[in-house]
Amino acid sequence: MPTNKKSYSMIRFEQVSKVYPGGQKALSDVSFHIKRGEMAFLTGHSGAGKSTLLKLITVIERANGGRVAINGHDIAKVSRSQVPYLRRDIGMIFQNHHLLMNKSVFDNVALPLMIEGFSIGEIRKRVAGALDMVGLYGKERHNPIMLSGGEQQRVGIARAIVNKPPLLLADEPTGNLDPKLSMDILRLFETFNDAGTTVLIATHDLGLIARMKYRTLTLKQGRVLGAEELNAHDPIGIN
Amino acid sequence: MSKQPQLNRSKLPLSGRIVMFFIRHIQHAMASMGELWRNPVSSIMTMAVLGVSLSLPAALQVLVKNAETITESWNSAAEISLFIDEGRSETAIQSLITRLNVYPEISNVNYINRDQALEEFQRLSGFGEALSYLDSNPLPAVVMVTPSVKYSSPAGARELLRKLEQEPEVSFGRLDIEWLERLQAVVKLLERTVLAIAALLVLAVVLVIGNTIRLAIMNRRTEIEVMKLVGATEAFIQRPFLYTGIWYGVIGGFLAWVIINLLVWYLDSALAELLGLYGSSLQMESLTIAELGQLVLLASFLGWLGSYLSVRQHLRAIEPS
Repeated sequence: MPTNKKSYSMIRFEQVSKVYPGGQKALSDVSFHIKRGEMAFLTGHSGAGKSTLLKLITVIERANGGRVAINGHDIAKVSRSQVPYLRRDIGMIFQNHHLLMNKSVFDNVALPLMIEGFSIGEIRKRVAGALDMVGLYGKERHNPIMLSGGEQQRVGIARAIVNKPPLLLADEPTGNLDPKLSMDILRLFETFNDAGTTVLIATHDLGLIARMKYRTLTLKQGRVLGAEELNAHDPIGIN
Repeated sequence: MSKQPQLNRSKLPLSGRIVMFFIRHIQHAMASMGELWRNPVSSIMTMAVLGVSLSLPAALQVLVKNAETITESWNSAAEISLFIDEGRSETAIQSLITRLNVYPEISNVNYINRDQALEEFQRLSGFGEALSYLDSNPLPAVVMVTPSVKYSSPAGARELLRKLEQEPEVSFGRLDIEWLERLQAVVKLLERTVLAIAALLVLAVVLVIGNTIRLAIMNRRTEIEVMKLVGATEAFIQRPFLYTGIWYGVIGGFLAWVIINLLVWYLDSALAELLGLYGSSLQMESLTIAELGQLVLLASFLGWLGSYLSVRQHLRAIEPS
């Protein structure tokens, strides 16, 4: 991967602000960074700007001010046609799974690999591996609609990790799950993190966060609380 | 660290990428064919509309083609009558005929002397009785000239006529081509009409396919959003739609061909009867294999164009949110 080796941050926000066309202010002066190989939580009430922040990382939205850098790429310099290639480095997991309900589990998980043009043999191997990792081995031919909520979430996770992206983003991954299942999912994220993947989990489930010892970014009305980490790790930025 | 690292286009080596490029195209082509099979009712409706739309211009093309073969056989019927000055001797006329025979523009010369002309007139006109009251034969000698193929068109024959009138023995010449010119004008008008109607129907085909593809895009909106989220390029997303458009075109083209053959088969016996009354045994021609190829090729291009226009407009509008 052509990542700049010297780049220290996986995600770096510098005085980022985002105002939606209607004038609604979603983020103002947000600065933080997440190191390579780090696992962190992003929390805050609904409407605090969590979704906007994730959208800025995945280039669904673009910032009005400040600088966003992902995996060493300055988002402002990433053209529209390059966005898909940036997104291939980000595994995304959604609360409502975003699965294709009329396609099999295999087809869902294989989608990122199809897009990247892997051969069928390679796709079979990797999909089987990813499903094995999330505990859904052997359910390739099922339709997502036949699976439980927790299993559907795992299909989404398998799809996010199947092409081994360096960054994993999860938006309320445990939103609809009971505590036991939520913990299982988080353990799963820990295994990916152990393998070197940077993980950022947005959640409002504070009990869940409390049980784990990871850094937490808290958003409140579009601002980051406790942003001092940025300065502590500042020696190397992207500029 | 001011340099932006290049975003990699693919993690595969170049050779693998080239192979996968073709494999993916074939996969997409097959997949969109499968998609059409899975929704047979709406697909067949669209294809039927395309088939009917394409069959009209193609049928008109067949009509024009057949009209051309018929008028071509009439074209060569143009003959020039040269009326010889009164008082020219038989020797002078014979020398004129010899001269005419070496004209490259002339394929055949037929001499009708005054006596023959009178005889023919008596036989054909029904004024035989009246003619016998005349003291002398009022009819001039006539040389009938058939122009060569190159000069058998109205313009060519007219040019030849002007040249022949320069001959000293010729009093004046007559070219009976007015009806031929009218016929050609009618054929030309027909051709223009065909072209205009064809253009309109071609536009209709593009619009029909564009609209069908638009609906397909709307139906697969969530799928497109997900694909964009996991890093699919626009080229990747639009490819199945473009192939769907091409398939619509190909099948619509074949359908048009079938319709035309049915039409020709239906009209042929009626036409044969009509032509039989005129003593002609022309058969109606359908489209040749080459023309079928052109039709299908054109149709698939129109399918691609329609879906491309639609995809360009609607695919971009779908963004994950």
